[in-house]
Amino acid sequence: MAEETTGVEIKGLERYPLLNAFLGGWSIFKQSLLGKIGLILLIMFALMALCSYIPPMVDPMYNPMTGVDPDITDSTGPSLKHWLGTDFMGRDILSQLLAGARVAFMVGVSAAFMSIVLGTAIGMTAGYMGRFVDTLLMRLADMIMVMPTLLVVLILAAVFGQLNIWSIVLIIALFRWPGVSRIIRGQTLSLKQRPFIEAAKVAGASHFRIIFRHIMPNVLPLAFLFMTFRVTSAIIIEAALAFLGFGDPGTVSWGMMLQWVWKTGHMFKAPYWLLPPGICISLITLSFYMLGRAMDEVLDPRLRKEDQTD
Amino acid sequence: MELRRYIIKRLVQITIIFFVILTVLFLLFRLAPGDPVSRMVDPDMTPEDAERLISQLGLDQPLGIQYLVYVKNFFTGNFGYSFHYGNPVVDVIWDRLPNTILLFTTSTILAALVGVFLGKIASWHKGEKTDSVMTIGALVTHTLFLPWLALILIWVFGYKFGWFPINGMVSEEVWLDPDAGFIAKGLDIGYHMVLPLTTLFLTHFGAYLLIMRSSMLETLKEDYVLTARAKGLQEKVIRDRHAAPNAALPVVTSVGLSLAFSINGGALTETVFTWPGIGRELVFSVSQNDYPLAQASFLLIAIVVLVSNLIVDVLYAYLDPRIRY
Amino acid sequence: MALLEVEDLCIDYKTKSGYLKAVDGVSFTLEKGESLGFVGESGCGKTTIGLGLMGMLPPNGVVRKGRILFEGEDLLRMSAEEMRQVRWRKIAMIFQAAMNALNPVQRVGEQVAEAMLVHNPSLGKHKALKAVEELFELVGLQTDRIRDYPHQYSGGMKQRAIIAMALACRPALIIADEPTTALDVIVQDQILAEIRALQKEFNIGIIFISHDISIVADMCHDIGIMYAGQLVEYGPREDVFDSPAHPYTRALLSSFPTLTGKKTDLVPIAGETPDLVHPPKGCRFYDRCPEQIPLCREKVSQWVALSPRHKALCCRCEMDGR
Repeated sequence: MAEETTGVEIKGLERYPLLNAFLGGWSIFKQSLLGKIGLILLIMFALMALCSYIPPMVDPMYNPMTGVDPDITDSTGPSLKHWLGTDFMGRDILSQLLAGARVAFMVGVSAAFMSIVLGTAIGMTAGYMGRFVDTLLMRLADMIMVMPTLLVVLILAAVFGQLNIWSIVLIIALFRWPGVSRIIRGQTLSLKQRPFIEAAKVAGASHFRIIFRHIMPNVLPLAFLFMTFRVTSAIIIEAALAFLGFGDPGTVSWGMMLQWVWKTGHMFKAPYWLLPPGICISLITLSFYMLGRAMDEVLDPRLRKEDQTD
Repeated sequence: MELRRYIIKRLVQITIIFFVILTVLFLLFRLAPGDPVSRMVDPDMTPEDAERLISQLGLDQPLGIQYLVYVKNFFTGNFGYSFHYGNPVVDVIWDRLPNTILLFTTSTILAALVGVFLGKIASWHKGEKTDSVMTIGALVTHTLFLPWLALILIWVFGYKFGWFPINGMVSEEVWLDPDAGFIAKGLDIGYHMVLPLTTLFLTHFGAYLLIMRSSMLETLKEDYVLTARAKGLQEKVIRDRHAAPNAALPVVTSVGLSLAFSINGGALTETVFTWPGIGRELVFSVSQNDYPLAQASFLLIAIVVLVSNLIVDVLYAYLDPRIRY
Repeated sequence: MALLEVEDLCIDYKTKSGYLKAVDGVSFTLEKGESLGFVGESGCGKTTIGLGLMGMLPPNGVVRKGRILFEGEDLLRMSAEEMRQVRWRKIAMIFQAAMNALNPVQRVGEQVAEAMLVHNPSLGKHKALKAVEELFELVGLQTDRIRDYPHQYSGGMKQRAIIAMALACRPALIIADEPTTALDVIVQDQILAEIRALQKEFNIGIIFISHDISIVADMCHDIGIMYAGQLVEYGPREDVFDSPAHPYTRALLSSFPTLTGKKTDLVPIAGETPDLVHPPKGCRFYDRCPEQIPLCREKVSQWVALSPRHKALCCRCEMDGR
């Protein structure tokens, strides 16, 4: 895993560790073809998400959830009025697709963010406290990593009833923190030995203060860089849940779209409806994966192409 | 010797984890908002049956006693009665378990073997077209959304071409036919298994391919590979006999780490293909509010995951002499 | 006919910044049953020579010039298949950092047997393992350890196993690249003694590569001092050790302590090796040489013969008549 420094720093910016890490990382990232493709795809999806606000503004019939075309009451193929056709209720598929992009980003980013916060807090605590607390937390992490998240959410749905989109995001985050916490814990452990921590202790700083004032700033850049592109599983889980019928009924997501095409028996008749959402989910997963790989190169010097001698 | 001790240690570990899961589930179902009784007792039961069941499950006792009853019931296989089927839950899930194991095991082993094999080949031809094709193929298939892939396969091969059945595990005609032999029945299951198996296989082999590929590239730099070459061995022998066995070890680890992902995929596959397994039962029971069945399905799946983890760990320990001796 | 005759060997490594001249114009001779030691700091090219002899340079390595005459035949002119036959059967190698030279998932005995079976498949596994037993006895390993795995061996045992493996086909030449670096001093001593004994018994030529001149002086008939890809001094052990001519050799000798003899100060050699992609025209040791004169920088270095078999690459030697 990555050492204390990523080895990519810009002179003169040591005082701004976040910015430093970012700019340094960018110069490495630029060289990765995979990373560039991933980034382009992601930007495309981001644009889709932003454009999702446009169709309903053009005409209320383009509202993904409630839009009804007075002339159409069933699923139809692509036409001038509806570029991707309509679903079984006459709603515009393209608007749904765009709205789905918005949901995907929302879910992905929120879940990633929450799991980073949680994972960082737990990782720092485990690494800093050591011994009993450390063992306990890491055992907990191990147990959680073993559980199939999708099925856990399912059983929670059984207990608590229908879940709304934010509950889903929260639960996903609750099951993704172990990955982050391991990295952060490792980082904290190596930071713990450094002289400036000793100095702070001698100066009488409380544990709390040391963790938040000294360790956290050094650990956060790593946390963000590392986790930001691991959002994929959150998006997939939400999509799978929606597909199975357990998603938030008020949210139009790509998984939800697939649920509709499946359950309304249009699977065999409406490729214009079946194909786009699935392609989108797969592509966004692919692009995040590519970005993640490029990120790995940034964080782990050994993976960088320039260092390979053969 | 070491191996046996290792297995025992791991068994203890997974037992503890299972108990934690059991307890958490218990607490969830008893303490969550709503009436816990309605979650365990079918509202359509007659009051006398309901009374009997309530005392059997200990729902009228304080929480501590409830827990003990709960644990006891688990070990005696008493999970209550399914709201939907009316049968004892244990019968239902017991019936489903082999189907899941069949599908899950076959797909995992196939994906791992093919992934290792292709990953090895990809590393031989690093940088060439073969490698690019395989790597991109692995990447793309790995990121396909599983339920969607399943739907596409059903549509193309089940519906359009009609080559394979689109749901279920068996055809009634074959199984109800008193003259049908073991082979006929086996083939029938196999026939139904093709599409679900393909779905699971396609979405999982890619990860193993990529790991094997990079593992091979690392291994080929090791000193013992250099030694093998210095000994005058042919390149093919070096790769297959010296590099590959070492490079395959991380793949085994990876299989273990991705078991949760595989189980998720398994449940989704079973649902789309109506394959009568526990995964599908869990999804179905949750949607039907059949709480006893849902609970039991989840627990059984947890056991499957834990045991699979154990098997993978033991396999790794067996393959790597550094652990065994 | 000498066992090994190397003439003007030049090996380059292709790098992003150009061709790195790792070995530049090295020539030497080795007779059957004798040993030649190459000494120098890391990066001086000694390991590259070893790999070059075996035909096992990394993909970016290329032999630009020269001849390697082994038992009269030029190895550089051989096809890949011919070279494969030569490997191990005629020339074996003991690698640097041999701790990882054994396949961790294969039993040690099998790996040693494999070396024999590759070149003599008709031998059969059973006979091969019997031969392995004999080899183990030769190197001082217990034969009941044949079925063990490498991680069950200590460092010294692993090294012995590797030596046993090198001897498996009774090669005419063994290249030993830092064979004892990873071992503690006592084991080191034992291993070196055994190598010496085995050499005498089987009349094997040995090329010994090390950064430690004291080991080489102990083990080898002839010594070659390498610096920055060039051979800077070459001759019989006694000559080089007792009357070192090249300033680098002298610096090397004074940077190791001696138990006997006068107590002198240890003098480390300051500075860094030159850039081998664009090596200097004149003497490569110039920047770090305590005896440099302006001429050293300009004049292309020439060999100066100090005795029939002892020569050094230094213009000061010529001038001072050493």
